Amino acid sequence: MAAAGDEYDPTPSEHELEAHLQTRNMVINLGPSHPATHGTVRLRIELDGETIVKMDTEIGFLHRGFQKSCENVTWTQVLPYTDRLDYTASLQNNFGYLTAVETLMGIEIPERANYIRVIGAELHRIASHLTTAGATALELGGFSPFLYAMEGRELVIDRVTELTGARLTTSYGRIGGLNRDLPEGWGDKVLKSLVKIEEVASEMDILLSRNRIFTDRTKGTGVITAEDALDFGFTGPCLRACGINYDIRKAKPYWAYDKLDFNVALGHNGDNFDRYYMRMLEITESVKIIRQCLRDIPEGPVTIDDWRIVLPPKEDVYNSIEGVIAHFKLVMEGVPVPVGEVYHSTESPNGELGWYLKSDGSGRPYKCHVRAPGFQILSAMGRLCEGRMLADLIPTFDTINMIGGEVEQ
Amino acid sequence: MRIGLILTSAILICGAFFTLMGAAYGLGGYLEDLGRGWNITGLGHLANIAIVMLVTVMVFSTLLTIADRKWGSFIQDRVGPNRARLPYLENSPLGGIPHILTDVFKMLTKEAFRPKNANKLLFALAPMLAFGPVFALFAVVPSGPTLKVFDYPVEMVSTNLDFGILYLFAIASLAVYGTSLAGWASNNKFALLGGVRASSQMISYEVALGLSLVGMMIAFSTVKLAGPDGISEMQMQYLWSTKVWGIDLGLPAWGIFIQPLGFLLFFAAAFAETKRPPFDAPEGESEIVGYFLEYSGMQFGMFMIAEYIEVVVLGGALVAIFFGGWALPFGNEALMGMAFMKAHPVLLGAIFGMVFWLKVLLIVYLQLVIRWTMPRFRYDQIQKLGWQILLPTGLVNLFVSGALILWDPSLRALALFGFVVIGIFGFLTLTPSRQVRREAEAAADHGGHGHAALPAHHDDHAALPANTH
Repeated sequence: MAAAGDEYDPTPSEHELEAHLQTRNMVINLGPSHPATHGTVRLRIELDGETIVKMDTEIGFLHRGFQKSCENVTWTQVLPYTDRLDYTASLQNNFGYLTAVETLMGIEIPERANYIRVIGAELHRIASHLTTAGATALELGGFSPFLYAMEGRELVIDRVTELTGARLTTSYGRIGGLNRDLPEGWGDKVLKSLVKIEEVASEMDILLSRNRIFTDRTKGTGVITAEDALDFGFTGPCLRACGINYDIRKAKPYWAYDKLDFNVALGHNGDNFDRYYMRMLEITESVKIIRQCLRDIPEGPVTIDDWRIVLPPKEDVYNSIEGVIAHFKLVMEGVPVPVGEVYHSTESPNGELGWYLKSDGSGRPYKCHVRAPGFQILSAMGRLCEGRMLADLIPTFDTINMIGGEVEQ
Repeated sequence: MRIGLILTSAILICGAFFTLMGAAYGLGGYLEDLGRGWNITGLGHLANIAIVMLVTVMVFSTLLTIADRKWGSFIQDRVGPNRARLPYLENSPLGGIPHILTDVFKMLTKEAFRPKNANKLLFALAPMLAFGPVFALFAVVPSGPTLKVFDYPVEMVSTNLDFGILYLFAIASLAVYGTSLAGWASNNKFALLGGVRASSQMISYEVALGLSLVGMMIAFSTVKLAGPDGISEMQMQYLWSTKVWGIDLGLPAWGIFIQPLGFLLFFAAAFAETKRPPFDAPEGESEIVGYFLEYSGMQFGMFMIAEYIEVVVLGGALVAIFFGGWALPFGNEALMGMAFMKAHPVLLGAIFGMVFWLKVLLIVYLQLVIRWTMPRFRYDQIQKLGWQILLPTGLVNLFVSGALILWDPSLRALALFGFVVIGIFGFLTLTPSRQVRREAEAAADHGGHGHAALPAHHDDHAALPANTH
């Protein structure tokens, strides 16, 4: 027990009864392993009664040297590492990285691949938002909404599994397009799942958004002003909850977002409820986007036709010398990314997922830096919680949706 | 298939209650008879302790540990506990009931860990102090009528105190020692926080708890719970009644009709005393893990079973005070007047006892549904609800009820007021709040919801406890 914040005045008083009691603040550790810290993070909290006086956020328990690992593999081999960043939305990371590399190389991918990327990304946005909203409910004691959310998330993960072959570590897509097209009849399955997901989301909405206890717990807690949010570098739903209309899908449209009709949910209080409600509204918008994509998706190839960038078809590899050479060069040397550097960002469920890539032309990244949205938001935890009650820490920590994988890389 | 299962379970539950209560009356009569031989009266109360408290309440609570999880899982679209199987019955999960056995074995065989610097005596004492008072609460709750079995009257209550309701308050307030000592003695900061939260919550809700029952006390001018002049049986009197074919029909003076506000307040306050969600801030498993953080094995088991016993006991107290105790809504006189029933008092007692326990089951089910639906209050919001909403409402209820009872001692005016209150609450619950209406309008304007449909920060909820429950 530390004696920090000791405000006892030792000078003897004439009125002993009116003298202050000798008190000192209590320091407790939330984490690294604590029910409220999904992911591993240590919160060192100094408490005066139940009020948080000071809070230090300590990360690093999940650090695994992402950037250094990327420098030792080819551009394509970075892809599996990106799965592990925001593991609730790995397709977002996959596609974000691939788009950054494609921007660096200056290539355009086929329209169908763009639409599939939107579908995959929005599916995982739904999964991530459902998880966040559900976990918020769970940690406020509402176990049922959490399991409804998990039901919806399982549906998304099932569809993603059919598309990519993996539940979490998708590694889907390749530089220059996608490694495989949509499976037969997959679109109809997605449409069916979307109906169920809307049902689940509205059930959660009924149980939470109008629940007096839930609104009392979340409204007016964890408040941050728009200016502070900008200063801290907030992006995504947490920034939009403060009323700032910044969504990269609208601001700098990529893939097929400029052809799609969707709204950006905006809050204005910047508190926990708004952050939660942004996510509920964005689920609805994502469902809308996926429906449009599945309706408008054009036919055609899913990769560019350039054997220097994408692997040639197997019959060409087996039957032609050009195919063998292209295959060999791609596998052994990697995609020839020209010398240069690029910063490209996409809108991930938590905010701006930016990639700063630098190439020296060697076939491997010279530098691969990720601007993970969770890091900046997590850094504001002290600001959000200090002076508040310990119990408010829980919904705040949930609604900012800290994902250990992307924060600590 | 499903209907058959439901019918089977219903018959099984009714049959179990019927048999247990019949056995209690039979044993009571026998013991009373035996006691008279030795010149001791009132030995029949032992039957109540042995069969109602030790068997019915305990088994009810034990089964409730599974029922809680099972009902919760049905609410949440999942199957629930079904892994534990009995030998030779490996193919049927038996509704998860074998999990009781595995849980008991698990708790009994686990190490009773004690932290290094914990206070040895208090640490060991706390689970007992949490368990004992809760269990003792049931002693004054009558679960059946006083009947003559083998020529001697048998009371279906462990002890018929003149101050029955006051005993409830007194013993309920003892339970706070268990939790606060557990928090203090564990030498753990999280447990300490939980203990402090628990003690403040339980102490402040006792005020609202006591106030909510004063209306019932003045309506029947007694604090006695059991016996012909106790609150439980006096609710049998009719407010309005008529006779059809010799069966008495009418509206009984149940607490829920004459004191609906008192019922809501008592329910909320007693719910807070049980420390179950949504009032589980002392436990708060996702923030401070709870005052029993350092306990393991059967010491933790005592806290857990105490919680479930509290659920049953709260159900029993609610039924005795607000739902007419063991009586049927109507037709009691006709049933008791039947010659066949007069000849077989054990049968009559078993029927009324069954009615009592079925009412308790209903209340328990209500508690579990609330537990699985609501998120948790924050610690200061619990205090705010207790002091700023429940207490003033209780005072208003007390003054209005007192005036109405003075004006009309037949309690009919009170009942009419009660119906108005029930009507107001029903109206408030069924009509959408201002927020919902405003959003619906906004959605109609925008042709769909989504963009900027977020409502303004609103403090204009109907600030009523009904909305929080």
